[in-house]
Amino acid sequence: MKDGRQTQHKAWLQALLSLLVPGLGQAVGGAISRGFYIFLTEAVLSGLAVFAAAQRPRYPDYGLSFHAYLQLLGASAALVIFLLALYWLARRVSLRSEFAKTAAGPTFAALSALIAVLVAPRMVDTVLAPEEQKKLFALTALFTAMVVAAIWAWNIYDAAQVRGKAHAPSLTPFYLLLIVGIITLGARIVQINPDKAIREYKDTGVILSRIVWPWKVAFDYKASQLVAEAKVQAPCPPGATPPPVNQPQEGKPWVVVTPTCGELSKRDTKGKLTFGTQLTIRGGGFQPGKKVHILWENPIGNAFTPRGVGPTEIVVGPDGTFSTQLYIPDVTIPSMAQGAQIHTLRVVQRGTAKFTGKLSKAMKLALEKMLESIMMGLMATAAGILLSVPLSFLAARNLMHNIHTTTEGFVGGVLGLVGGAYAGKRLADVLTPLVGGLEKAPVLTFTIYVVLVLGLAIGAYRLLSRALAQAGERLHPTLSLSIGILGMALIGGGVGYALGIGYAHGILGITRGAEAAQAMAHSSGMFGAALGAALAAFWAGRLGANGKIPIGQFIYAAVRLLLNIGRSIEPLIWAIMGVIWVGPGAFAGFIALTIHSVAALGKLYSEAIESIDPGPIEALQATGATRLQTIVYAVVPQVLPPFTAFTLYRWDINVRMSTIIGLVGGGGIGFLLIQWIHQFQYEQAGLAVWLITITVATLDFISANIREKMV
Amino acid sequence: MLVVEHLTKVYEDGTIALKDVNFTVEDGEFLVIIGLSGSGKSTLLRCINRLIQPTEGRILWNGVDITQANDAEMRRIRREIGMIFQHFNLVERSSVLTNVLTGRLGYLPSWWSLVNFFPQSEKRRAMQALERVGIADKAHNRADALSGGQKQRVGIARALMQDPKIILADEPVASLDPVLAHSILGYLEKLNQEHDITVLCSLHYLDLVQRYATKVIGLRDGRVVYEGTRENIRNITDEEFKHIYGQEAQRLSVGG
Repeated sequence: MKDGRQTQHKAWLQALLSLLVPGLGQAVGGAISRGFYIFLTEAVLSGLAVFAAAQRPRYPDYGLSFHAYLQLLGASAALVIFLLALYWLARRVSLRSEFAKTAAGPTFAALSALIAVLVAPRMVDTVLAPEEQKKLFALTALFTAMVVAAIWAWNIYDAAQVRGKAHAPSLTPFYLLLIVGIITLGARIVQINPDKAIREYKDTGVILSRIVWPWKVAFDYKASQLVAEAKVQAPCPPGATPPPVNQPQEGKPWVVVTPTCGELSKRDTKGKLTFGTQLTIRGGGFQPGKKVHILWENPIGNAFTPRGVGPTEIVVGPDGTFSTQLYIPDVTIPSMAQGAQIHTLRVVQRGTAKFTGKLSKAMKLALEKMLESIMMGLMATAAGILLSVPLSFLAARNLMHNIHTTTEGFVGGVLGLVGGAYAGKRLADVLTPLVGGLEKAPVLTFTIYVVLVLGLAIGAYRLLSRALAQAGERLHPTLSLSIGILGMALIGGGVGYALGIGYAHGILGITRGAEAAQAMAHSSGMFGAALGAALAAFWAGRLGANGKIPIGQFIYAAVRLLLNIGRSIEPLIWAIMGVIWVGPGAFAGFIALTIHSVAALGKLYSEAIESIDPGPIEALQATGATRLQTIVYAVVPQVLPPFTAFTLYRWDINVRMSTIIGLVGGGGIGFLLIQWIHQFQYEQAGLAVWLITITVATLDFISANIREKMV
Repeated sequence: MLVVEHLTKVYEDGTIALKDVNFTVEDGEFLVIIGLSGSGKSTLLRCINRLIQPTEGRILWNGVDITQANDAEMRRIRREIGMIFQHFNLVERSSVLTNVLTGRLGYLPSWWSLVNFFPQSEKRRAMQALERVGIADKAHNRADALSGGQKQRVGIARALMQDPKIILADEPVASLDPVLAHSILGYLEKLNQEHDITVLCSLHYLDLVQRYATKVIGLRDGRVVYEGTRENIRNITDEEFKHIYGQEAQRLSVGG
């Protein structure tokens, strides 16, 4: 009995603590992490609620005061407690009936929602002053406040039940409330607004429909038209010889203009028009019942519809004639064109446009750019395969983790690498001018550099690492240890110096300015060198003579890091860098997609390698096969199917990406699409969207099919 | 002659797999290693061709210390040591012929593999090896199309490609039907007797051991707890048996 009472007291204490600080009661009751998460949830949710409920994107100055929010919270808590009390009462009353007991939950939920909706606006009116009300999205604020309050209430109940970590009630109500809270807040922060979507559609539906069904602009149309012209001279100086007056003609359209010489209308700076000479226009030989258009062509051949000087669209009479009157329009004459000029009045009657069956210019352009996109995706995939396959082997843990070298071998290798690379560079410096240098033959020059630097570096690496490793084995341990320590100190010093310089420019340069960094670079480098040398020598000493360095794991970690960086930067961002590098166009897109493909494929490939059966590798090693032979005959046959599947998958992604990489200047159809959108040519943009959709869907289908057959 | 002296292997997680193991294998012997799973049999075999790097001790192969050999020396030593495995360790997607040819890689220049090149003479040698184990007709099948017994014969053919002086067999019949066990061990015995290839083999079933071994060592918890000749093992006492396999062990026969 005494025990029971103690438990009772403890429950009350825990409930009280949780009433004051959410989660505290649970923590005291022994469920520390539970209490912590409850507290964290309440804190984050309230914070987000104050931010999100009050923020108005257009008026960032608006903000709901925390005080006002607390009032709202209190009111909500009252409402929640009232509803809970109601629920409790309902349960009490309906305890006898099984049906009522099961129905109580849903009924209560529905009733609560109804009450919340009915009472909420009144509550906000009561709690908040009108000027505070202006500052908040009432429903969001109310809902989140209610969620916070409900979790608070639940937390008190929960605290009373908690007896240590093992004995704690279900968390389901908490999760449910949390989901409601997050959805409410998320909808506000993302500004999900169904009202807007429905309201705006009224105005934008027409444009959208043009994008959805744009096929009219995919084809060329031929419009037959009837044309008649008459010459008019303006201005009309005395003594000029005006053009002859036309005569009506049988069987073809004609127009007669009188007079054929007159003054231009003039528009002053305020836009007010002073009429010039009025022309009488008669015409015939046109199709009856349809409109003719009057155009004015200035002396240099630009035609336009005259504005404000008379009617320009006239319906032709039943006999095929019409007549009208028009002032000579105001025409801007270039200042160097002096004296009388001959203008042309043109009457045009357009027939119905006829479908020619030929593709329009826009469609041809879109197709051409679509092809460019597909090719970009293909080329990037091909380049991605070439580069990522070797990398993937370096990023496969099962192949790399047991590659070790001795300290002496490592020293020899690094010295060989650096020395060989330097020698290669010097050699290339001498050789490349013979082929024309970087300006005349950039690719050849670059290739010579790469081949010589890499070739000599790797050659010297193998030579020196072997020589030193063997020497290390043969020599007296003390001697080989001192070679190891000295060599490692040298390497560590070099790396430390580079890091020190980098620190000066990269870190000190930010806080103290470039000049101070420049001044400090040397001392910083020397400090780094000393530190690096000491650390490396210490490490070499600890490893001892012929100590093992897990060089394979270093390479593995470095390659993995590179791949992860390459993959976490999106292709669109790589494309922006590509555009800066080589200018806008498909090449920039190709670079972007290639980099991302290498990183993504490298990861996928290396994971495929890691999951192979190690048995054949073991078997081939046992036959005396070299590492290369083992990879070719034990690893490659095993990874071929997954490699193919991943490559197809990547190809799919690359073509998809290549269609939008043009949005940031990466070439292909995306470039065209964004241009058309900016020019409000929505039909043409719709064409591009359609082509992209068709291409992507087709490729999706094909690659899924092939993959299915492969696996 | 293979001499193992004070061989100890401690894995990185601290497991002691072998503890001061000493024994000698004369040329032409059929040495069988017995012991429970986890007693260190596989580790011992893999230390001999250094698939596993021993922690301490020496392994002298005709006077050369295998544990100190560098990469180039190791390649020469390994190609004299054939190995066959419990799970055959074939490349399942490659042809039987290719699998057998890979046994010859220790003799071939590394870069040939880049263009997947094997000379005709090696292909003939591979066919001969397959004939010796009786499955030349399967040469162009994929390895995953074979039965377990056939796979192990490919494994033997692959080892034969090495012109081995010694064959390490890591429980070569443990994944096979008992009937097939005799067939596979029969091949090994033939190689042992007719071609004078030393065999080091780990086995589970005592009657197989009694039938094929010329010398037996028993491992328990990484230590040699039994050493005997063919005669000794045929007359093994219950006491000795329990010393190797533990008190609860029962003798079991595969028949035949």
